Amino acid sequence: MTKRAALGVLWAAATATAALLAASWMLVGGDRRPLLIGKTTGAHHQIETACETCHAAPPFADAAEATRALNATCRNCHRDELQAAADSHPARLFRNPRMAAYWQRLDVRQCTTCHVEHRPETTREGAVSVAADFCAACHSEGDQDVRQARPSHAGLPFDSCASAGCHNYHDNRALYEDFLARHAGQPWLAPAAVHPLAARSRAQKPLPEAPSAAHAALAPPAALQEEAAVRNWSASGHATAGVGCVACHAPTAPHGASRTVVEALWIPAPDTAACRDCHEAQASTFAAGRHGMRRHPRIAPPRDASDALEAIGLAGLSSKAASGWLRDPPRARRMTVAEARLPMRAEAADEALDCATCHRPHAVDTAPAAAEACAACHDDRHSRSYFGSAHHALWLAELAGTAPPGTGVSCATCHMAKAERRGEVTTSHNQSATLRPNEKMIRPVCLHCHGLRFAIDALADANLAISNFRGQPAVQVESVDWALRRRSDR
Amino acid sequence: MPTFAEQLLLLATDEGGAPLPVQEDALACALAGAVLMDLAFAERIDTDMQALVVLDERPTGTTSLDRVLAKIAARQAPANARVWIRELSVDDAGAIAEDVLSGLVERGALAGPVERLRGHVRTRRPGTASGEAVRRVRRRIRQVLRANDIPHPRDIALVALLDACDLLADIFPAEEIAPRGARIRQLRRMDLIGRELTGAINDIEREIIAALRARAARRRTLLLHLSIIAGLGATAALLAPRIPAPHRIAPSWRQSLWFDEAWQQWSGYLLLAFGGVVLLAAMFVKVRSAARLGSGQLWRLAHVGFGVGCALLLFAHTGFRLGANLNAALMVCFLAVLFFGALAGIATNGAPGLRRLGVTPMLRATLLRLHRAALYPLPALLAIHILIVYMY
Repeated sequence: MTKRAALGVLWAAATATAALLAASWMLVGGDRRPLLIGKTTGAHHQIETACETCHAAPPFADAAEATRALNATCRNCHRDELQAAADSHPARLFRNPRMAAYWQRLDVRQCTTCHVEHRPETTREGAVSVAADFCAACHSEGDQDVRQARPSHAGLPFDSCASAGCHNYHDNRALYEDFLARHAGQPWLAPAAVHPLAARSRAQKPLPEAPSAAHAALAPPAALQEEAAVRNWSASGHATAGVGCVACHAPTAPHGASRTVVEALWIPAPDTAACRDCHEAQASTFAAGRHGMRRHPRIAPPRDASDALEAIGLAGLSSKAASGWLRDPPRARRMTVAEARLPMRAEAADEALDCATCHRPHAVDTAPAAAEACAACHDDRHSRSYFGSAHHALWLAELAGTAPPGTGVSCATCHMAKAERRGEVTTSHNQSATLRPNEKMIRPVCLHCHGLRFAIDALADANLAISNFRGQPAVQVESVDWALRRRSDR
Repeated sequence: MPTFAEQLLLLATDEGGAPLPVQEDALACALAGAVLMDLAFAERIDTDMQALVVLDERPTGTTSLDRVLAKIAARQAPANARVWIRELSVDDAGAIAEDVLSGLVERGALAGPVERLRGHVRTRRPGTASGEAVRRVRRRIRQVLRANDIPHPRDIALVALLDACDLLADIFPAEEIAPRGARIRQLRRMDLIGRELTGAINDIEREIIAALRARAARRRTLLLHLSIIAGLGATAALLAPRIPAPHRIAPSWRQSLWFDEAWQQWSGYLLLAFGGVVLLAAMFVKVRSAARLGSGQLWRLAHVGFGVGCALLLFAHTGFRLGANLNAALMVCFLAVLFFGALAGIATNGAPGLRRLGVTPMLRATLLRLHRAALYPLPALLAIHILIVYMY
């Protein structure tokens, strides 16, 4: 064999090996980061190598099946949000055959018609990957032509529908006409501005007491006790509720276990799993939000290479290959600050996000988790501007006791809004519930203190949002006036 | 002493008997010129600006020379060397090659049968050669190029003929020829035996160059322009702004071309098909059996033409968006293949002008090497790209 022929064979072998290796990463297991075709949107990068979370169809499924499976997975994480928003364009509405004419224009039965992942170059704000005037697909002709139905809209470009603070595709809870008209006369700031759920939440906190007698029974071995931790815990809500050290640090220890057993089962730094036992609602929303989405139960676990090899008749390879280069890399359960795409403090880069990252479980005071903890990591202009703002001053006054509960505005007030469920007020730890687009914040947060007109204008003013609402909005959204005029014309 | 035509065909053959991938047009012109030079050395013809005249009609005893001598003698209307070179290179190159090859076989310099040796000019089918005859003539020309003494006039004339036809770089490795430029120019300035003979040989060389230039000019211009387009396409893909997502939801060809998956699939398949043709055409330029389907020039043109088609399809497929990770690597590879191929095409087809600017055969060879090197990872990356698309 000549040298040239030998090199040719070598090249062919290398090409086939590379293709086979990539195929085995896709079909069996292995690190698939090099195979990603583009950055994912928002916080999806945290789960982007858990491909099966979204690509749920079997390998090489036909396009229709793959699309169906892909779209079904969106709801695994976003169903609650859409339900809470009373989705104004639910997919089920468009499955009706009477809507068939619209399918050709914009097939909104599928999430992926407007939200295509891994295409950063063509993706707009809100993870929208279709043209900004997408409303025109259905609302530019016939009965649905808004320019005919509403003279005020006659000269408006369609790419301003969702970008001018007037409409949202999914969440119009605070933007529909009747709501606008009903809240049109509100002053920009309520005379007694109180967030009622926040006020109730703080009122229902158990008062710190002296260490209970239960402490002795629940206490860990003396060697594992830290004096400062015990002292803090003694005055905390956990102590009041009778939650001792073992409940979190050795949750698997049987009731009445000996000290030796407790010592063996002791977890120095319990994670979210320990908190979830009592704080289910918070843990669930934490897993649906940006901080804890890696813990969402529907995130696909690493693949078992042995199963995949057996399925394709290569069971003999299982043990070696599965433990080596065909093994999915272990997936971190916690996101680190360094992985964030928003500006963060460099010194916080190694922080991994868990309940205890923001909440100090032994601390008496839970307030720092609402603002100070955020500032420990977030370093964008909006976050920095909070400190010294009117909202911050109100928060400090509430903490100082000079203002009633519920009057302060912390980071969490807006971004982790309080919600009431079965009579109990809990904090939603899903930041997306009141963000992207930010008008989602109007009803659950802003309107408790501000008038609707002011809230819409303020949220539509990007510069005002960056300065953390220092001053009055420079943007005036006309939707409230139009709503009033239309009602008076009827 | 072998004739110029015999030495030329031996030089255009490798030691295993296969024709070297030399430029076909140039070889045909060189063969016509070689026969005229043989006749001039044999004092059978002379040239001036107006006509090529027969001095002596007596046969030389060499079939290939006598056939041409008879043809020139039989011509009533006078014709100059340029006309004869054009005519002989177009109409008689095959027959001359066959005569020359037969002579070489008869003398044992080549192993027959002759039918298998004809491929040099027309069919490019493989022949068999006595390695020794080929080695001998190559060794002699190498020696002429390397030494500083005055070589035999026939060797001077042969080197001048090879240089005039731009064949030296096809026959010898580029890195061997590149440093010998000064020596080649020196050889071409040397006088041959007698002023008349020198004048005749110079006339023939000049006319060969003119004939070659005229023939190659259109082809080279076309290839040059195509190469420039491919180069601009590759450069634009790197530097031009990416095609943005459409701002209007209304159906448009822009939206379909770059953002509709079905269209992208079609442009992808077409790109794959064009890439395959480009690859095949490149192989067929040098694969002897492909000559039945078309000449080397045709395949070269197909290679460059479909290469430009690939650049356009790449634009249609990606909208200049490079992608990420392995997709980005695939795009970079594709663009590198296009870019270096375009530069090599420009260096090859803009050769006379670029040579004055210092573009050497060595640079051309380097560009071709880079063009090929960029191609090696392409099939693997392409396979992975297609797998990803269908898997996810």
